[in-house]
Amino acid sequence: MKKFGIGLALALAIITLTAGCTKGEVSTVGKGDFIDGDSGGDAETLNWILAADATSFSYAGHTVDSLATFDNQWNVQLRCLAKDIEVSPNGLVYTVTIRNDLKWSNGSQVTAEDYVYTLKNLMFSDWLNYPYKSDWQEDVDGKSVFVTLQVVNDTTFTITRQTVYPEFIYTIYNLIPYPKYIALNYEGNAEGFNQAPEFNNLTYTGNLGPYRFKEWIRNDRFVVERNPDYYLGKDVGAPYFDQYIIKLFGTPEARQAALEAGDITSTGIEPAQVNRFRSMPNINVYTVPTSGYTLLAYNQRANGWEGLRDKKVRQALSMAINKQTISQAIMLGFAEPAYSFIPAVSPWYTDEGISKYGVVPLYDKQKALELLYQEGYGIKDNNGNVKAANKDGTPLHLVLVTSTGSKPAEDMAFSIRKDLLDLGIETEIKLVPWATLIRQYVMNTVPGSKKEPAYNNGPEAVSQQSWDFILMGFGTNILAPSGSNVFFTTGGGLNYFGYSNIQVDELFKRARSIEALDKSARQQIYAEMSRVISDDQPVDFLIFSRVNVGFQQNVVGIEPGINMSYNYYLWKFGPVK
Amino acid sequence: MGKSWLRDYIVKRLIYAVIIAWGILTITFVLVRVGPNSPVDEYLANIAARGSDPAQVTAAIEARYGLDKPIYVQYFDYMGNLVRGNFGWSFSTSMPVIDLIKTHWIYSFQLVLLSSLFAAFLGMLIGIYSAVRQYTKTDYAFTFLSFIGVSLPVFWFGIMLILLFSVKLGIFKTYYDTTLPLFSLGNLKALVLPVITLGTGMLAGYVRYTRSNMLDNLKKAYVTTARAKGLPERTVIGKHVFRNALLPLVTIIMFDLGSVVFGGAYLTEIVFGIPGLGQISFNAVFANDYPVVVAVTLIGTFVVLLVNLVTDISYTYLDPRIKYG
Repeated sequence: MKKFGIGLALALAIITLTAGCTKGEVSTVGKGDFIDGDSGGDAETLNWILAADATSFSYAGHTVDSLATFDNQWNVQLRCLAKDIEVSPNGLVYTVTIRNDLKWSNGSQVTAEDYVYTLKNLMFSDWLNYPYKSDWQEDVDGKSVFVTLQVVNDTTFTITRQTVYPEFIYTIYNLIPYPKYIALNYEGNAEGFNQAPEFNNLTYTGNLGPYRFKEWIRNDRFVVERNPDYYLGKDVGAPYFDQYIIKLFGTPEARQAALEAGDITSTGIEPAQVNRFRSMPNINVYTVPTSGYTLLAYNQRANGWEGLRDKKVRQALSMAINKQTISQAIMLGFAEPAYSFIPAVSPWYTDEGISKYGVVPLYDKQKALELLYQEGYGIKDNNGNVKAANKDGTPLHLVLVTSTGSKPAEDMAFSIRKDLLDLGIETEIKLVPWATLIRQYVMNTVPGSKKEPAYNNGPEAVSQQSWDFILMGFGTNILAPSGSNVFFTTGGGLNYFGYSNIQVDELFKRARSIEALDKSARQQIYAEMSRVISDDQPVDFLIFSRVNVGFQQNVVGIEPGINMSYNYYLWKFGPVK
Repeated sequence: MGKSWLRDYIVKRLIYAVIIAWGILTITFVLVRVGPNSPVDEYLANIAARGSDPAQVTAAIEARYGLDKPIYVQYFDYMGNLVRGNFGWSFSTSMPVIDLIKTHWIYSFQLVLLSSLFAAFLGMLIGIYSAVRQYTKTDYAFTFLSFIGVSLPVFWFGIMLILLFSVKLGIFKTYYDTTLPLFSLGNLKALVLPVITLGTGMLAGYVRYTRSNMLDNLKKAYVTTARAKGLPERTVIGKHVFRNALLPLVTIIMFDLGSVVFGGAYLTEIVFGIPGLGQISFNAVFANDYPVVVAVTLIGTFVVLLVNLVTDISYTYLDPRIKYG
């Protein structure tokens, strides 16, 4: 046994010594590989036109630029555009002019025809089933019709709408073309297009992105290598990294350990770990805002507690839920209280007239009890103390549902339960898998109807399981908040909580009307929308989250902010301090 | 011709294997497809952030992959393709299922194989040593350590090893590097922590089984006879006692090997970022990627059936008294 033990120890020592020390393999000076640690799941496909997920677009985006992007202050940064998109005074015609030095991999020029072909023959087609077709459709006389397209010359094309939608320009900015010369071979053949090696291996991307596709090992790594021909970088030598690697980890702990050990260049840092990483001399941690927010949806459908259909009751509940506790104690300061769906970093955000429930003075449990009592949902004891109750005086038992797998969400659920208990409301917390949450609690159908369950099957529809609160994360398109109509309009496709306010429906319509072409008018519309929704409390907007991103200290060129990667092709390794 | 019964037995077992695999395949297909979940469910956040209607996106994706067809049509389409050797297209990873499995099986296999070898070899040695030195301080120490080993949660243990050996000491990389050549010292080094993580629980179990089986056999009359005949103790233990103790142990080891290949190593794969079949199949379940789920289940079924067959055959060599009719 002794001999064996010595042998094993020797074997381990040999492995360790001969393979060399691995700590700090990330390059420290000049060029090298940038390794971005992620644990959010892998992409669905590199054939991005087929994708429904954001990760696929993000992977493909390393090799092909969109028409434009935005910096941290929301200034347009032209990419494939030669000049900014021109919008006709009536807001219906968009003239897009692309650069004339964009090339496909076969050396041919990327032309306006490629963009128009991508839209007309691929995205709008019936055979390909592009999932976001509706981005390019408008309602005209009750019918959904596509925008019309016109090639003007090699570098210019127009997009014409029949109805005004001022924020449509942001959809155009995101446009990426497919090469017509390759796509033609697969036209009408969905399976062939789906499995086309050119599209699944991004072999066509020419000089369109800072990197070229190298390798994708599913659930492990996505690797792109420096593109020396990149149209934005050829004059300055950018990008500077030899390879940009997205390495997937199973857990936040594993990727944070990798950053600490110097095995990767960058990764997100969990709130509880931020101070520890900030104290490390070799790591820089940046805290940046996001467009994501967490909310507590109030079920206003027939299978929710009846009180939730009363605005005053919803206000009372929101008044009792402490947002400071959530943002400071649970999110450790890396979140700010939310009062509407438009975050403070949005150019459309306004503070004016918003009801700030959940913070003093609208965090007041006594006042909340009085409101409930006024609405008939409270009982008074002999001492005059009010306790929340059903209208018949029976105790209130409500159900809060959230998905498993998020520690902050679980902590928030328990914090909310504690706050509601102070009003006399017993809250049962149900932690369920995401798929269960979606299928049994969120999706709804009219009882007795044969219609398939959907996220909003009309005001009569109810979910399979009854619930009163759902704790969930939502996101806002910061530049185009009118997209949140899916949540807050009566017929919105994601209005699963059954909220309906004609005034809000009208405001969302106005945000997409000729009136909103005037930015100050649009600002007023959003201000009014935020005011009405924050007063109505169809949901209790809890927090807007901030994220922390850690980088090895020698990465230079980063501009911390909400869109900090907008100039990532200019990042490089500097000397280690 | 002396073992023609064995050939007949193998053929019979293989026929059973095909029938069992078809049954499991059908059950898996129905379970995955009858559930109401859609592959689009997990993309809801992105759909919402874009302000798109989830119903339209779901309809487009389901139509593209034929998920809008009746279940029986999907089943016969799938079976028809399978008979022609086509495992289908994985829509959550955008590649042929067979290529997906071909790329990833090796990561699970090498991990499981090395862990099993590590656990079986060390476990049996320690188990024999403990049995022979019963009730000594070393035996107590090994017993104590094996109980700890059995109780260690893989997830926690793996993270602790990373923090100690990778972050603090810098000996190993914090994650498994798929760029390393398969047959290289670097790859072997990259597998040290995952093998210890996965193998420790197995090792501890084998120590307990070996010790217990050895002790059972040490008490038997044939041991006394062997010793009385003056055989050296090394021969008594190594040739007689251990060989008899090995039989139940082989069953356990082979069972572990079969069960751990497709799923048991999942947690270790997660902790060390190893893109093995455990991770692939787990993600496929959540993505409702039924071609992957069914294919991995099918291959897993065959592996388990094959391992059982090999185990049964190995019995006939370990104990010549065993014959199958």
